[in-house]
Amino acid sequence: MKIFKVYAILSFILLLVSGASYGQLKEGEPIVFGVPTALGSIEGRDSWMSVQMAVEEINKKGGIRIGTRRHEIRAYAIDTREHEPGIPLHDALIAQEKLILERKPHAIVVGNFRSEVLLSTMDLIAKHRIPYICSIAMTPLMQKKVTEDYEKYKYTFRNALNAPYLSMYLSKLMEFIGKEFGFTKAYIVVQDTLWATATGSGLEKWFKENKWEVVGFDKYPLGASDFSSTLMKVRATKADVIVPIFDMPQSGILLKQARAMKIEALPVGFISPIAPENAWDVFEGEVEGFVNLVFEVGPLPVKAVPKSIEYNRNFGLRWGEAARKSLSGHGPGPSYDAVYIMADAIQRAQSVDPDAVVKALEATDMHGVVGRIRFAKDHQVVYGLDPKESAIGAAFQWRKGKRVVVFPDVVAEGKIELPPYVKPKK
Amino acid sequence: MITGIIIYGLVNSFILALVAMGFSFTFGISGVANFAYGALYVLSGYLIWIFLNWLKIPFVLASLLTILLSALFGYVTYYAVLLRVRGIVLSEVTATFALGVGLLEFFRWLGFVTYEFSLPSIKKGSISILGFPLDYQRLFVVIAGLGLFIFIYWFTHYTRIGLSLRGIAQNERTAISLGINANRLAAISVALGSAFAAVAAIFVLPLGIISINTGYEALLIAIAVGIVGGLESLSGIILASLILGFVQVLVGFYLSPDWIMVIYLLAIILILVFMPSGLLGKFKELEERV
Repeated sequence: MKIFKVYAILSFILLLVSGASYGQLKEGEPIVFGVPTALGSIEGRDSWMSVQMAVEEINKKGGIRIGTRRHEIRAYAIDTREHEPGIPLHDALIAQEKLILERKPHAIVVGNFRSEVLLSTMDLIAKHRIPYICSIAMTPLMQKKVTEDYEKYKYTFRNALNAPYLSMYLSKLMEFIGKEFGFTKAYIVVQDTLWATATGSGLEKWFKENKWEVVGFDKYPLGASDFSSTLMKVRATKADVIVPIFDMPQSGILLKQARAMKIEALPVGFISPIAPENAWDVFEGEVEGFVNLVFEVGPLPVKAVPKSIEYNRNFGLRWGEAARKSLSGHGPGPSYDAVYIMADAIQRAQSVDPDAVVKALEATDMHGVVGRIRFAKDHQVVYGLDPKESAIGAAFQWRKGKRVVVFPDVVAEGKIELPPYVKPKK
Repeated sequence: MITGIIIYGLVNSFILALVAMGFSFTFGISGVANFAYGALYVLSGYLIWIFLNWLKIPFVLASLLTILLSALFGYVTYYAVLLRVRGIVLSEVTATFALGVGLLEFFRWLGFVTYEFSLPSIKKGSISILGFPLDYQRLFVVIAGLGLFIFIYWFTHYTRIGLSLRGIAQNERTAISLGINANRLAAISVALGSAFAAVAAIFVLPLGIISINTGYEALLIAIAVGIVGGLESLSGIILASLILGFVQVLVGFYLSPDWIMVIYLLAIILILVFMPSGLLGKFKELEERV
C-alpha cells in the first residue's frame, strides 16, 4: 500500500512537472514570432519592417522575461503573395504552413493580407494552436467565427481596423461633410474583395438611412487600372461625393483619371497608394483635395497620440527617410503594436503555452502607436474616436503637397476644405 | 453621355490596338507567336521608369533608349531561344511563354510591385471634345496608334526589308529561293514587334501604373485582338480593337466594370468556334482550302 502511495505521489509530481513545463522555454531559447504576409504589398512590406523594429527594441531591453530568464524574440517572415491577382488561396495557406512547420513559431503577428485567406487560415491556426494577431485583413467574419466557435478559434485576434469600423469612420466623415457642404449624392466604387465590398455595403446602408442618394456602386476586379467607365457615370449622375475603397497598387491612378476627366465630385474614402507621404510626387500632385482615411494612426503621425509621432520618427531613423515617406496607411502601426502586445501577453502569462497566452491577450490594456489597445470579446481591438479610450484611425486631406489631419475632432489639425474643382451646395 | 461613350470607346480601341500591334506584326510576318510579348511590354515600362527616375535621363532620350533596348532584346531572343524551336508552334509558344513568365517574376522578385512604379504623363491637362474632357495622354495614345499604323503600312509596302518580310509571310520557301535570309528577317520581325511593345508601353502605361499583372493583361489583350481580327491582318487588328474597345466601355458603363476582362475571353472563344481565322484573317481558311 505504501509503495502505491509513493508511486501515486511520484506520478502526480511528474504530471505536474510535465504540465508546467509545457509552454516553458529552455535557458537562452528564443521566442519565435512568425510573420506570414504579403511581403510584396506596401502594407505587408511596411508591416514586416515595423515588426523587425519592435523586435529590435524589445531585444535591446533584454527581451521577454519569464521567471528569472530573459528570452530574445526572433521573427521570421514568409511571403504569402496573397495580394496578387490570381494567386490561389491554397498557395497562401501552404506558405503559412511551411513557416509553421519549419520555424515552429510560438506566436504569429501581422498575418494575412486578404480576408478570404484569413478565414481559411483560422482553421490552420486552430489546428496548430498558435496565438495569432492579424494586423491587415479586415473581414468581420473573423469575429463571427471566434464568437460562434470560441474553443476552436480563440487563438485568432485582430488589432487592425475591420470593415465595420471603417464604415463607421467613413459614415461619421460623410455626416460631417453632408452638414458642412450640403452634399447628398454619393457614388461608391470599390475593389471586388470581401473587406472592400463589406465596407461599401455598410456605407451604402448608412447613406440610405441618412437621406443620401447612392447614385452608383461599382466593383472592380483586382489589378484593374482603367476607371473611366465609373468616372463617366459619376459625371453623368452629378454625384457630390465619390467614395473609393481600394488597397490595390493600381487604384492610385483613379484620382489622376478623375482630374483628367474634370470630375467635380469630392473624393472621400480610402485609396492605399494615396496614403503615404510620397504619394503627392508619385501622382504628380493630382491628389489635391482627396480626403483619405488612414486606418490606424502611426504612418500618419498625430499630436494627440505621442507614440505615433515617436514611431514615425524612429521608422525613418531605422529604415531611412525614403521608406518613412512611403509608409502605407494600413498595417504598419498595428503590426508594430502586435509585437508589443504579444510580448506583453507572454510576459504576463509567464509562459508560451498558447491557452495561457490567449487568456493574457484577452486581458490586454495598453497604449500603443494606434492609441489605447483593448480586445473585445470577439477578439477585435476596439476602435473609436478618442485615443485615450480606444484605438484610432484618422482622415487627412491632401492640400498643396501636405497631409492635413482633419478627422476625428480629437486629433484634427485642420478643417476639411473644398478643392477648387468642387462647388459647395450651400 | 453618348459623346463620352464614343470618345472613350474610341480611345480604348486605340489602346487595345497599340498594345496588340507588335504581337500581331511578328506573328503575321514570321509566324512566330511571341508569348513573351506581355513581359516585353512591362520590361519596357520598367526600363523607362529606371531611365527617368534613377538615371535622370530626359524623357525623349529615355523613350528612344527603351525602344532600342526592347528591340535588341527581341532580336537576341530570336537567336537565343526561338531559332532552336522554329517551326514547332507548341515549342515556340512554350519557350516564349516561359521566358515571359520568368522575366515578369524576376521583376516581382526584385520588388518592382508597388504603386511607386508610375510613369509621368507626357503632358498634363486635358482638352474639350464636344464638351467632354479628354486628357492629353489619351490624345497622345490616339496619335501614337495612328502613327504606328501608318509606319507599319509604309514599312511593309515601301521599304526593302518590309517587302522582304511580306514575301516571307506569303511564302517562306519561295522567298528563300529568291535569296531572302528567312532567319534574319524573322529576327527583325521579333525585334520590331518588341519595339512596338515599347512604343505602346511609353504611351499607354502613364494611364495606369506599371505592375507585373499588366504584363499578363497585355498578353491577353494581344491574343484577344489578334484572334478576333485575324492575326496576320492589319485591318483586322483595327476592326477587332474597335469592337472590343467599344464593347468594353459599354459593358463597364451599363453592366459592371467587373465584367470587362470577361469580354476578351468570351470573344476568343466565340471567334475560335465560329470564325477560326478571325474577322479578316485568312490563315485557317487557306489551310482548309489546301
